[in-house]
Amino acid sequence: MKRRHFLISAAAVTAGVTIMPRMSFAAEGVIDVYFTSDQNVIDFWTNVVKPKFEAAHAGVTLNLVDGGDSAGVAAIGDRALAALASGADPQADLFEGFDTRVTVDGIAKGLYVDFEKAGLSNYSKINPLAFDIPTNLPYRGSQVLLAYDTTKLDPASVPKTWADLVTWIKANPGQFIYNRPNKGGSGGNFVRRAIYEVNGKDPSKFTVDNFTPEFAESALNPAWDVLKDLAPSLFDGGAYTSGNTQSLQLLGQSAVTMIPAWSDQALSAIDQGVLPETTGLVQLQDLGLPGGFTKLAVLSNGTNKDAALKLADFLLTEEIQSAVLTELGGFPGVSWDYVSADLRTKFADIIPASIPNFPSGKWETAINDGWYRAVAPNVDPAS
Amino acid sequence: MTATEAGALAPAPTQRKRPIGLLLVAVPVLLVLWLIIWPIISAMIQTIWLPTPEGGRSLSVSSYEFFINDPYSRANLSITLWTTAVCAVLLLVVCLPIALYLRFSDSKLAAYVQGLAIFPMFVPSIILSFAFIRVLGPNGTVDLLLNSVGLPKIKSPYLTPWGPVIGLVWDNIPLTVLILLSGLGNVSNQAIEAARDVGAGRFALLWHIILPRVSNSILVAISFAVLGIFSAFTLPYILGPAAPEMMGPFMQRTFRDLFDPTNAITQAVITFGFCILFGLFYVRSVAKNRTP
Repeated sequence: MKRRHFLISAAAVTAGVTIMPRMSFAAEGVIDVYFTSDQNVIDFWTNVVKPKFEAAHAGVTLNLVDGGDSAGVAAIGDRALAALASGADPQADLFEGFDTRVTVDGIAKGLYVDFEKAGLSNYSKINPLAFDIPTNLPYRGSQVLLAYDTTKLDPASVPKTWADLVTWIKANPGQFIYNRPNKGGSGGNFVRRAIYEVNGKDPSKFTVDNFTPEFAESALNPAWDVLKDLAPSLFDGGAYTSGNTQSLQLLGQSAVTMIPAWSDQALSAIDQGVLPETTGLVQLQDLGLPGGFTKLAVLSNGTNKDAALKLADFLLTEEIQSAVLTELGGFPGVSWDYVSADLRTKFADIIPASIPNFPSGKWETAINDGWYRAVAPNVDPAS
Repeated sequence: MTATEAGALAPAPTQRKRPIGLLLVAVPVLLVLWLIIWPIISAMIQTIWLPTPEGGRSLSVSSYEFFINDPYSRANLSITLWTTAVCAVLLLVVCLPIALYLRFSDSKLAAYVQGLAIFPMFVPSIILSFAFIRVLGPNGTVDLLLNSVGLPKIKSPYLTPWGPVIGLVWDNIPLTVLILLSGLGNVSNQAIEAARDVGAGRFALLWHIILPRVSNSILVAISFAVLGIFSAFTLPYILGPAAPEMMGPFMQRTFRDLFDPTNAITQAVITFGFCILFGLFYVRSVAKNRTP
């Protein structure tokens, strides 16, 4: 009886707290930052960005809010757009990992700050490869690269072009595995690199609007042939892991010698000991494996717009950009000239000459479906 | 308080009992109708009442035709049937001896065996999957142990159809053992002793005395396991090969990655069609059990 009473009262208190009306208003000097990114990024902000920024700007504090995912922050963006129309307070200042195109009419109505006109002192440092539209500010990147076991493969002879990679995979059967293209981007971007390879290594051939079934057939089918040709030389005669983590695990267990991996995931895995110290990272130099930059947006009607812009500028300083490399394991959003010299030497092998970014939309479904039908069944289920 | 009420109800005439009983089951029945039966019917309608290019909708079985004529989809269905059948057989082979031991053993060890048999129930399948890769995967714990005594490595079942089979069998042991154990409760010790007295051997005992009494439980246990295995997602997704894939991952991928709800629902309806067969087995055996 006692226990039941306790449960009921505990439930009532919890419910009361949750449904209590929240009458908070955006406070002056508290920048409300909403995240679409994962916990490791929020941890990075909590442990690195927040203390450094607050120390440098007395009287300003950061309120870091996990928006869940893109849809969660998109809803806050819609609310801010409504607030813009009625002149109300959006109670938000900065969106991390957000594409301003998602808010319908948001850019046209001036909801988001145009960074070209915002006068950020570090704006010119941004990597030219990263620019998208002026309301999206790229501040960190992540790219798929090749992670390999240096005890089995000498860094001096590691493949640095697609052709070398194919030769190496065929010469070392069973030592390479990539994950299914719809499950975690590392395998997906490896597959996309194969698509680039058979289409003249020209990323500009693919845009989100130029998808037609005919073009897709002529562009993708040769890539399926390349990948089918690789299948017998892959791990277990053509097995594919079901996620980024499983690929890392196979490399960590020394079951394979090389995998495609996200740069930030591989670097933090090495840092945490999930992958051994002897793990090497390399990027293809003829055309890098695709990846992308993470952007942020500043609301033009936020109470703390000016402070938020200072924060955006602060993120592009050498201090934070170097920390993106060392603490987060990501890529800097600025050109490599603007990170410290010793880091530049340390990461020389993975500095990309280009970061291709494959369009999503209908291309994504065509690639996912095509790969499963054309490449994956090439496996003999009994093997 | 409730006891006196129940006591007052007991002698009431049968015609008064009936509406109260019906009222008591009305809530769960309505919930099942609303949350389960209706979605099934609406899903079935969605797969045969398809939009036409002119903008209207018309009766069509084209999504089912596509499934039947598509070798890829058929391969996925047959690997699902294969996995389910192999798992069902293995479960019986593994669980019946455990249940028999637990029923007839008086030793203290039995309690530990029971605890061990129930243990998989408390392990989430995602954790099981990654532990599986660590233990049975390439260069996993088993390989290390074999290697340390100079034996060759095993051929790892990871990313082959045997991966999900091993995982699903382990995951379904507790439920199967519990159901079989409750069925073995029907076998009286007197019956066994009587059979022993007339000289029945162990095998004859099992075949003529025990199995006939637990056949119903075996049917129930297998239907339960089959229902779960047929639509399993996590284990086949993480441990199985990329293709052919089981219906669970296939449906999820069609829906979420190919943005193709019509075909995903068609796959679900076909899966449901197979599951309902086993559901009917279960209902039939329960109904048979009830009639005096």
